[in-house]
Amino acid sequence: MSNTVIRVALVGNPNCGKTSLFNILAGANQRVGNFAGVTIEKVTGVLQHEKYRIEFTDLPGTYSLTAYSPEERISLSYIREEKPDVIINVLEGTNLERNLYLTTQLMELDVKMVLALNMQDEMEQQGIQVDVKTLQKLVGAHIVPVSAVTKFGIESLISHIIRVYNGEIVVRKNKLGYHSLIEDAIDEISQKLELPHGRQAFAPHRWNAIRLLEKDPEVYRQFHQDPIWLSIEPILQTAIQDAASLYQTDPEMMIAEDRYAFIQGALMETVSQSVRPRKSLTDRIDAVVLNRFLGLPVFLLLMYLVFQFTFAAGAPFTAMIEWFFSTVSAGIAQVLPSGPLQNLIIDGVIAGVGGVLIFLPNIVLLFIALSVLEGSGYMGRAAFVMDKVMHLVGLHGKSFIPMMTGFGCSVPAIMATRTLKNPADRLVTMMIIPFMSCGARLPVYVLLISVFFSPQAGGNVLFGIYLFGIFIALLSAKLLKKAFFNHDTEPFVMELPPYRIPTLKSVLFQARIRAQMYLKKAGTIILVVAIAVWVGTNYPKNPETEAQHLTTVAALQSNPEALQHAKALHRAESLQYSAAGYVGKVIEPIFRPLGFDWRIDIALLTGLAAKEVVVSTLSTIYAVGEDNSQSALIQILKSDPSMTRPVGLALLVFVLLYIPCFATLTVFKKESGSWKWLAVYSVYTLSVAWFSAFAVYRLALWMT
Amino acid sequence: MQTTTINELPIEAQATILRVSATGEIRQRLMAMGLITGAVIQLVRRAPLGDPLQILCRGVRVSLRKSEAELVIVKPEVSHV
Repeated sequence: MSNTVIRVALVGNPNCGKTSLFNILAGANQRVGNFAGVTIEKVTGVLQHEKYRIEFTDLPGTYSLTAYSPEERISLSYIREEKPDVIINVLEGTNLERNLYLTTQLMELDVKMVLALNMQDEMEQQGIQVDVKTLQKLVGAHIVPVSAVTKFGIESLISHIIRVYNGEIVVRKNKLGYHSLIEDAIDEISQKLELPHGRQAFAPHRWNAIRLLEKDPEVYRQFHQDPIWLSIEPILQTAIQDAASLYQTDPEMMIAEDRYAFIQGALMETVSQSVRPRKSLTDRIDAVVLNRFLGLPVFLLLMYLVFQFTFAAGAPFTAMIEWFFSTVSAGIAQVLPSGPLQNLIIDGVIAGVGGVLIFLPNIVLLFIALSVLEGSGYMGRAAFVMDKVMHLVGLHGKSFIPMMTGFGCSVPAIMATRTLKNPADRLVTMMIIPFMSCGARLPVYVLLISVFFSPQAGGNVLFGIYLFGIFIALLSAKLLKKAFFNHDTEPFVMELPPYRIPTLKSVLFQARIRAQMYLKKAGTIILVVAIAVWVGTNYPKNPETEAQHLTTVAALQSNPEALQHAKALHRAESLQYSAAGYVGKVIEPIFRPLGFDWRIDIALLTGLAAKEVVVSTLSTIYAVGEDNSQSALIQILKSDPSMTRPVGLALLVFVLLYIPCFATLTVFKKESGSWKWLAVYSVYTLSVAWFSAFAVYRLALWMT
Repeated sequence: MQTTTINELPIEAQATILRVSATGEIRQRLMAMGLITGAVIQLVRRAPLGDPLQILCRGVRVSLRKSEAELVIVKPEVSHV
């Protein structure tokens, strides 16, 4: 039985319930990736229905095809280049007027379209009734009432897709007519396009003509590069001049007005609504949540709750996972004879797998929180409240939550940037998140502060570190935006959707999809890297020291304490001969100006695996015994003459800023979709860390 | 005829749009949201930090920055009590 493939794209405004509809159609058979080369999320899914394999692509929400921002242009370019077989234009039934604006533009494209009139349930609640039969004729496409919440109309929608694809349903296209000034210009341009040169390249002609009059930047660019521009440009100029002198307006606005006039006319004929209550619940909630005095406190409270939910509520699960893995390790230690294989399995593989899974509770909880915030409609309000501050540094209001999450852990925080639709905002936010000092760096700070500062001063230093991180983050945002994304900032014009109660199902579904993606994509890489790091810190072994150690062990069998000490010394020595040790010594000159010696360098190197590993590596290098207590390490470091306070300060700053752990890098690469940005990012963090630590070190030296 | 911009309207004031003097991306976005010549809007509130603004247009709650609101020329409606 052969399968017919139908490629379907979902297009619609943001907040029209497109994604919920997509989730129902594609179910769990979905994948999240990026559109080619851009940091814009692309979600695809498959539905197998009878002998049809329907492939869905959920395009980013857009208000208009004449868009400038990358995430909105994706919809248009996807439709024109990928040429999907059928387009589903999802409409928010409770907001038809604005939603149909996009539809009027889609109508002018040469595509097979089905309109999904979504939110039937809410429409019923509000007493909105639509004469679908008539509206279909006006719009020139079949309309299927659906509800993503109650699953109403889904079967009908699927059947419509198939029948439209097969040509079993044909709706006569309706032409949206414009003001005579516009229509005349369209005719003239179309005539020019009819000429042999233009005919193929710029089809459909009417559409291109309208686009030119609407000043679509992409279409303009295409025409500009073509000699046909010479004959087209005068027509456009005349239209613009006539519109200005005769009507004090311009073609762009005239077309928009005509679109809305058409929509209003259509809706007047086909839609009726029973009286709505005067002040809706949404407005009453907003009166509190966006209140001049309550707005910020409410926002901060909610952010606090999100943070607590993600990390505090996640703590028991994280602890369970840690317990599970240490139990398994202990078990294996009993079963397998000690030696390289046991080490590989316990310290390499199991530690690696554990290192991947440890992030899972936080990721799941964070995405549950994000789903609730987005689904309820609060997210827009959060952006609304924070925008002034964020905009100062060139960020978006929605950047706040991912940044805040970064104080717990960068991995879920970077994943959370998916709420930012604009790729520039998303990338910049991703790049500054690790400057929000994550939880794993804390043990390193605590250690260093205990060595170099008194307990009273310690608290202030810690606070200072965090503040410095935030400062660098905001400064970086401004610089990065200027350096790489110096075009007009994205307009903030956006809709505040009505509040809705997100369904438990959709919330859990989101969390599940994210978790799966994380495990599949990031998980494997993190595991591989963890094993590589284990190999790098344990091999190569120096045969002389190994042989010597065996003799020493044999000699000290009767003296457990001395044996412990000898083992610690051996570990310290082995580390020097390993690949990591070798690299640490090689790069020592680079860090000498910061006051770091090769031992610190090795520790920092291992910090690339995970930040808290810096502490354990320092323990190993300084041959702290197996009881591994903090105080022992602190004592040793305190008595080391090369560990001066300036070095300590420089080290603190360096740990704060330098390249984040591999898990973070992996997630960064996956979310940004590009090696180039990963490279830029690594270089950037390393440079910032180096220069900051250098400045701090020299300054501290000069002051003492 | 007294004209002003959305930015300068008092809270709760209603106005009719005369002209959108924005260009490019911002203009398209404003128009797609329904802010076209002849549309009636109402300034609902300013954000707690003063920026952005929230307006009501064709039954839709729209938020926009002051810098964007400044570009929309409107004629205030005389308020009927």
